Amino acid sequence: MSVGVLSVTLLAPLCGVVAILCTPSRATNWIRRIASTATLVSLLCAVWLCTHYDRIIGGFQYLERVAWLPHLGISYSLGIDGINLVLVLLHALCAYTGVLISYAITERVKEYYCFYLLLITGVFGVFLSLDLFFFYFFYEMAVIPMFPLIGIWGSHATPFSKEYATMKLTLYLTAGAVVALIGLLALYHFTGLRTFHLSTLHEYLIHHPLPVATQRWVFACLLVGFGVIAPMWPLHSWSPIGHAAAPSAVSMLHAGVLMKLGSYAIIRLGLTLLPEGAKFWLPMVATLCLFNILYGGWVAMAQKDAKFIIGYSSSSHMGYVLLGIATLTPLGLDGAVLLMFAHGLMTALGFALVGHIYDQTHTRLIHEWGGLGQQVPFVATAFVFMTMASSGLPGFANFVAEVLIFLGAWQQYKLQAMLAVFGVVITAVYMLRMVRTACFGPLNLTWTHLVDARTWFQRWPYLLLISTLLLFGFWPGFLVSTIDRAARPLIAHVTGDDSSSRMVTFEPQDSERSTLNSDL
Amino acid sequence: MNWHLLTPECLLVACALLLLAMECFRTTRGAAWLSALALGGVGLASWALWHQRHLVGTASHGMYLFDPLAVALKFLFLATTAVVILLTHAFVSREPRLRGAFYLLILLASVGMQILASAGDLLLVFIALELMTFSFYVMTAYVRTDARSIEAGLKYLILGAVASGFLLFGTSFIYGVTGSTRFAHLHAHLQQQAASPLLLFGGLCVLAGLGFKLSAVPFHWWVPDVYHGAPTPVTAFLAAGSKAAGFAVLMRLMHPLFGPLLDEEWVPLVALAAALTMCYGNLAAIPQTNIKRLLGYSSIGHAGYLLMGMAAMSSEGVSAVVFYLVAYAAMTLLAFAVVIGVSNAVGSEELAAYEGLSTTSPFLAATLFLALLALAGVPPLVGFFGKLWLLLAAVERGLIWLAVVGVVNVVISLYYYLLVVKRMYLMPAKQSTPVAVSLPLKITAYAGIAAILLLGIFQQPLVTFALNATRLL
Repeated sequence: MSVGVLSVTLLAPLCGVVAILCTPSRATNWIRRIASTATLVSLLCAVWLCTHYDRIIGGFQYLERVAWLPHLGISYSLGIDGINLVLVLLHALCAYTGVLISYAITERVKEYYCFYLLLITGVFGVFLSLDLFFFYFFYEMAVIPMFPLIGIWGSHATPFSKEYATMKLTLYLTAGAVVALIGLLALYHFTGLRTFHLSTLHEYLIHHPLPVATQRWVFACLLVGFGVIAPMWPLHSWSPIGHAAAPSAVSMLHAGVLMKLGSYAIIRLGLTLLPEGAKFWLPMVATLCLFNILYGGWVAMAQKDAKFIIGYSSSSHMGYVLLGIATLTPLGLDGAVLLMFAHGLMTALGFALVGHIYDQTHTRLIHEWGGLGQQVPFVATAFVFMTMASSGLPGFANFVAEVLIFLGAWQQYKLQAMLAVFGVVITAVYMLRMVRTACFGPLNLTWTHLVDARTWFQRWPYLLLISTLLLFGFWPGFLVSTIDRAARPLIAHVTGDDSSSRMVTFEPQDSERSTLNSDL
Repeated sequence: MNWHLLTPECLLVACALLLLAMECFRTTRGAAWLSALALGGVGLASWALWHQRHLVGTASHGMYLFDPLAVALKFLFLATTAVVILLTHAFVSREPRLRGAFYLLILLASVGMQILASAGDLLLVFIALELMTFSFYVMTAYVRTDARSIEAGLKYLILGAVASGFLLFGTSFIYGVTGSTRFAHLHAHLQQQAASPLLLFGGLCVLAGLGFKLSAVPFHWWVPDVYHGAPTPVTAFLAAGSKAAGFAVLMRLMHPLFGPLLDEEWVPLVALAAALTMCYGNLAAIPQTNIKRLLGYSSIGHAGYLLMGMAAMSSEGVSAVVFYLVAYAAMTLLAFAVVIGVSNAVGSEELAAYEGLSTTSPFLAATLFLALLALAGVPPLVGFFGKLWLLLAAVERGLIWLAVVGVVNVVISLYYYLLVVKRMYLMPAKQSTPVAVSLPLKITAYAGIAAILLLGIFQQPLVTFALNATRLL
């Protein structure tokens, strides 16, 4: 068996763990180098995949399948289509920059990188697996390293201790996972195929759909289970606390990528395998996600701790993603996946910057910062970029994604779409207020000792994230056409309406325009 | 008579007799020498078993069965015994009195387990159980100077006697109805005529008697005190060996014998027992402050997971149980190895002694971390697949509610295991002296880590082993 490019992407961080375990713990520089090399390999693979994925053929490509436990129908099976391709790129970017940001960690470096790379492997595994068993396997594997990562290297998220935060996060996510597991086992049992392979199940279910009632309760299991990590209101309460308590590189991965696992799982498993369940539950999600958007944003406005602000803003933005999925339109789904990508990079940038400042000031209360633009101009500039991206300013990928979601939502849920648009205003309020308090105004004289990201090596992760956001802000077609290639057949499968799949187009701007025109 | 089928047992008994003779003639020997002798006996028995692993047959007119299931379980018991002997080293070195006798008892308990794995007759079950349990009574109360140890031994003796009573009482009913205690005759009887209420009652009593060994609710009361009071290696042996021996009998009794014929009566009953056992064990483990008590309650919880596989009453379920028994033995012995290491160094088994263990002994802390995560069922460790297979067996039987109870318990158990991890990793150490780890302990720990990690990722060998074991049921 030859090792495919997807396996390399997945296993590079794992090889990093093994290499680090063999390195003496004093050799911290070597450990850091191993970790950054491992994640760089994954990133290069992800970029290579993005450029080599055949958009004309579409569907799953670079398939790898090795029988793992034939008795139970479990296979190690990887594949990539338009949706997870984008997310793999996002994760690879966040993982690589996260490792670079983690150079600031000086305590128990060896253990830190072991857990961190395990987390990275787990998330890659979830995105790449086409086998429900390994999907779940990697999902659980990604959740558990969070416990020591937050517990040991985290900081207290006043008024909550980091021990509380990490326990709550781990238990919430595991509880969600096991609820989803019931759904997965039920799928395995009810199809009676004795296989966990996604494509096989999918093909079988097209011709022999499960009874509607079964589909509904199984979808409910998946929705609640993966909704915890999505995080869908009212299951979100672990997330802002967890973000605030985690060390910055872990918050980056956590808010940037881990939260996307939930919505990805709902798309990949829920929509693909249980179309009737999706049609039944998603309108409800379209309403619930308004709480995410508006309530999350409202709570974010009241926060004083920068990490809590970004944390609540994350759960607010993930509301848009859920709204996009709930529309069950190609536009909405394209927007949702693109927003997962854009929001992941934006929020990773935000946590990295807050971490840079916090490491020196030991406070994250924004009113105690003040005037940082004079002292740390590079970091402050990047911070402004981050707030702009978060508020959905044109030029950033976030803008395109949000527009697509609103267009999609307008087709299905006019009221929800109108309300959701106010989320943009709320985001602008708290983000601009944060950047005003933190970066502008007179310099707080306590902070004259702050050090900017001076070397290019320190600036590199920030520049990488900002430039990617800008790149796909100006050239969204590249990503949207990729996502669209996977989203259209999926939506057609769920709605049972072939018209949307026939309208296959590789210029999404055209399709947007045509849908707009038809709407008007 | 196929006496050669009993070669492994005979070798173990011979080794035990040698130890006894040495004890009688008061040949004083060091613990290392004695444990090497005992290990040699176990090694010989394993070697003999390896040579006849493909044999299938019966001895004593069906009283003693030798089939793949028996072979698989015997291997498991021999491996468990070997690990326990390794773990006992430090404990026996501290006890100057009757060192040889301790190893003798371990070997005799092991012989009892070996015979249980092969028992094809309720009376043989009784005798083998008594052989095993009597050895455990003495081992539990072995530290004469420790009141807790004596108390634990006494409690175990009394409740164990009650269990034996149940078993014999049930056997008498079964004998009264069918005229035999042989499994094969029982099976033939059940196929000819429907089960009478008296037979069912007898079966229930037998299950109750076994329930004590499995530590299934409502027969679990002895577990926490006995686990707490017994010397730690004995606790490990109880958890990994004695429980598995109980399941060995249950596997033979339930699925092939009662299974297809008495489905409707047994499935809800066993499923209910499984649910209660899981919930009780895991919930009661939360407030514990002593690691041995915590692992004791957790072992009750695990008996519940295993019963979930039994409740499925399918060969799939029995295979899953075999898989999980092996996995559980590896995980729990690994956890106890660390408990022994810490108690040797710090002299305490309270959870408070584990605070900051990651700084005083990173190796022990990491080992316990892995063992506890494996027990909780976190991938990529072996407990994950074991639990998944048990759940799958339950779901395939249509017991979705039981699977829900099972997964909820996974979360509960993760909580209290993480509480221990929290003490080890997140709390500062009280003293900064590094904890030394002895060589036998290190060997055990490395072997255990390799086992739970490799079998967790590459499950195929153990799955083949488990499927093979239940091939002829």
